[in-house]
Amino acid sequence: MSEIRLQVKNLCKSFGITKAVKDVSFSVNKGEVHALIGENGSGKSTLTNMLTGIYSIDSGTFVLDGEEIHPKNQVDANDHGVSIIVQELGTLSGLTVAENIFLGHEDRFVKYGIKNTKQMIREANELLHNYGFDRIKAQRMIDDYNFEDRKLVEIVKATYFDPKIVVVDETTTALSQEGRNELYKVMDRIRAKGNTIIFISHDLQEVLEHSDTITILRDGVYIDTVKSEDVTEEDLKRLMVGREVTGDYYRSDYGSVVSPEVVLSVKDVSVPGLISNLDFELHKGEILGFGGLSESGMHEVGKAIFGASYDRKGSVTLQDGTEINDIPTAIQNSIAYTSKDRDNESVVLNQSIMDNICLPSLDELSDKRHMLSDKKLRDFADKFAKEMSVKMVNVDQFVSDLSGGNKQKVVLARWIGKDSDIVVLDSPTRGIDIKVKQDIYQLMDRMRKAGKSIIMISEELMELIGMCDRIIIMKDGMISGEIERHETLDENNLITMMV
Amino acid sequence: MVAVGKTEMTTAKEGKLKKDISIMSMVKTFLPIVGLIIVFLIFNILTNFRMIKNMSLVLSQIYVTMIATTGVFFIMTMGGLDFSQGSILGIASIVVCMVSKINIPLSIVCGILTGALIGAFNGYFYVYRKIKSFIVTICTMFLFRGFIKYLTTNAPVAGSAALINYDSTGLKVALTLLILVVGFVLFRFTKFGTYLKAIGAGEKAAMFSGIRTDKMKFFVYVLSGAITGFAAFINVIKVGSVTSSGGSQLETQILIALVLGGMPISGGAKVRFENIIVGSLLYIVLNSGLTMMGFSTQMMQLIQGIVFLVFVAVFADRKSLQVIK
Repeated sequence: MSEIRLQVKNLCKSFGITKAVKDVSFSVNKGEVHALIGENGSGKSTLTNMLTGIYSIDSGTFVLDGEEIHPKNQVDANDHGVSIIVQELGTLSGLTVAENIFLGHEDRFVKYGIKNTKQMIREANELLHNYGFDRIKAQRMIDDYNFEDRKLVEIVKATYFDPKIVVVDETTTALSQEGRNELYKVMDRIRAKGNTIIFISHDLQEVLEHSDTITILRDGVYIDTVKSEDVTEEDLKRLMVGREVTGDYYRSDYGSVVSPEVVLSVKDVSVPGLISNLDFELHKGEILGFGGLSESGMHEVGKAIFGASYDRKGSVTLQDGTEINDIPTAIQNSIAYTSKDRDNESVVLNQSIMDNICLPSLDELSDKRHMLSDKKLRDFADKFAKEMSVKMVNVDQFVSDLSGGNKQKVVLARWIGKDSDIVVLDSPTRGIDIKVKQDIYQLMDRMRKAGKSIIMISEELMELIGMCDRIIIMKDGMISGEIERHETLDENNLITMMV
Repeated sequence: MVAVGKTEMTTAKEGKLKKDISIMSMVKTFLPIVGLIIVFLIFNILTNFRMIKNMSLVLSQIYVTMIATTGVFFIMTMGGLDFSQGSILGIASIVVCMVSKINIPLSIVCGILTGALIGAFNGYFYVYRKIKSFIVTICTMFLFRGFIKYLTTNAPVAGSAALINYDSTGLKVALTLLILVVGFVLFRFTKFGTYLKAIGAGEKAAMFSGIRTDKMKFFVYVLSGAITGFAAFINVIKVGSVTSSGGSQLETQILIALVLGGMPISGGAKVRFENIIVGSLLYIVLNSGLTMMGFSTQMMQLIQGIVFLVFVAVFADRKSLQVIK
């Protein structure tokens, strides 16, 4: 069993002045699920991106089955027997399912320069059938399917040719429980064939359950490789963070009474196709959670409150009677929103940390003659970036250079700078490591105690149970249940209402 | 990121990488200004210092371009393009000529209004009918060029004879400086500039930060039209009348000037106001230098084409090229 499949030797990679991977060496065996864990910015994705040819290698080598490989791009990596399933959407719109599955490998269907589409579709359908995804039809456009199904197509695309190594890069965070189970099944099958999976995940419980071996990285440096059966979740946390994770993870109080003061009321809100006839109230100092399956419409609730929904009906009203119908009005009236789609909707990627933090507060930062001073902006951005302990060189650094957790910190810094009273957080800890998660939970607790009201929309039931005073569960665009904070609450209480 | 286990090799590597990056950004920062000086010196040597002696003549071509470039600079910062500038200048010049026979100050106002109206026309189709800006403005370029040809079918449209009294270098310099200074302050020291850059760098995120992106985009097209409408007055006092080709090629001049000045063609956070000034100067020096050397128009276009391509290749921000709107 313990034959070596892949050796990573003295691997290095830098982006500008940031060293993402520093002299990392370890080996991966045949027929195992090898998990790669570490905090955000620890170099996991950078490493696998080099393996799959997405990034070039600065120095060091990959030795696959005794042969040195230097993949130039993803197709080249595939030819070497290495493939990847990514976190975000990895399928291309405007193509059929079959075209997506065989992307870059169309040559096998080409005869005399003409592509045999029928044969391609037939083979794709066969593959889908073998995987048990019969409801997906190879001849249909990929756009006809939702995020979840597209992910399944990607799984087929990455694994149908029996690659020697499949990298599963934080794929599970984007999937529902059902999709995860499908993925686990595929992973088991790959392992049974004697092939290898490199599994990246932030969910340590999942890592322990589904992997054989675990390699830990921290700040781009190799820390250790351990057997899953020998360690506990606590051990892994300690290895990842480099010290004991102390203090409370979630908030620890129970039974505290929420103020009866209503700061925001939502009446009869509908967004065509997404949510219908929603009614609820948010109290002062309350953390109100929204849970459900990702398609339940709960993500649209945040946008609807923030005035960002297209074609919204019904009313969102503040305590003083102000109606919120568009984003600028929402922001002026102290509502903040962080999107699930962090890179497109929360931060301006190709802009400095400074501009990103100052953007919503420019009116307050302008003097009486509407003039802005550089120093004032810089001090403002610096203050709140430091308050959120954003890892950065200085505030002139572009947000695109930051890791996911740090981007989220920049987003939170801007709203803390704005001193918003109602904060809508959609998936605030998505793809974020334990340390930053803990920071965010503690921040939420502090804000709650300072009388701010928070709406937290999340697919992670544990964090809803751990943080919220009240949880609203959504299903098919409607509220299907509401639960008060309680010590004995567990995931099953919520799941029954979700499905 | 905490530095742990830094080895000799990685530091050396990092040093080299750092150097590469800083050399590239140095090139990007100084190429336009160094290029300007070098091109200026070369042409002076090649023309026996005729250029420096005729500096006022050289500069006389720059005012209209530089003013109109300021407006387009705003458009390009937020990731848009405008190919209708030449036609805006042409139509606005005709309006200035016509109204100048009644009242000269009124003609300036009417020129600005004409430009603003065409800008609003562009903005409406771009923002509210959601057509890409370069498609819209190429259409309006032809549309208004047609109007210009129609209005000048029988004879060029001549302005009031009194206009000639305003043709002084002092006034033209003053008006150009006025636009540049106001533009600079707006761009650099008010939220206007930051908002434009945010829209250029990521429109959706800008919208979620509370910027009224649609209004902003519409307004910038109106503003840019108005600025070029204002430049029409300077154009008219220089030439006195408008022919069917009045203002043509201005859009290309502006685009070349901005790119020569180091402007990333997709806009965003890396644009600098200096791009306008250095770029317009470089363009004019290059253009008049080639003319003084006695190159034919065809040859000049060929050389301009090569220079343009080189600059675009150097300054294109490849990460955000796909966001041209």
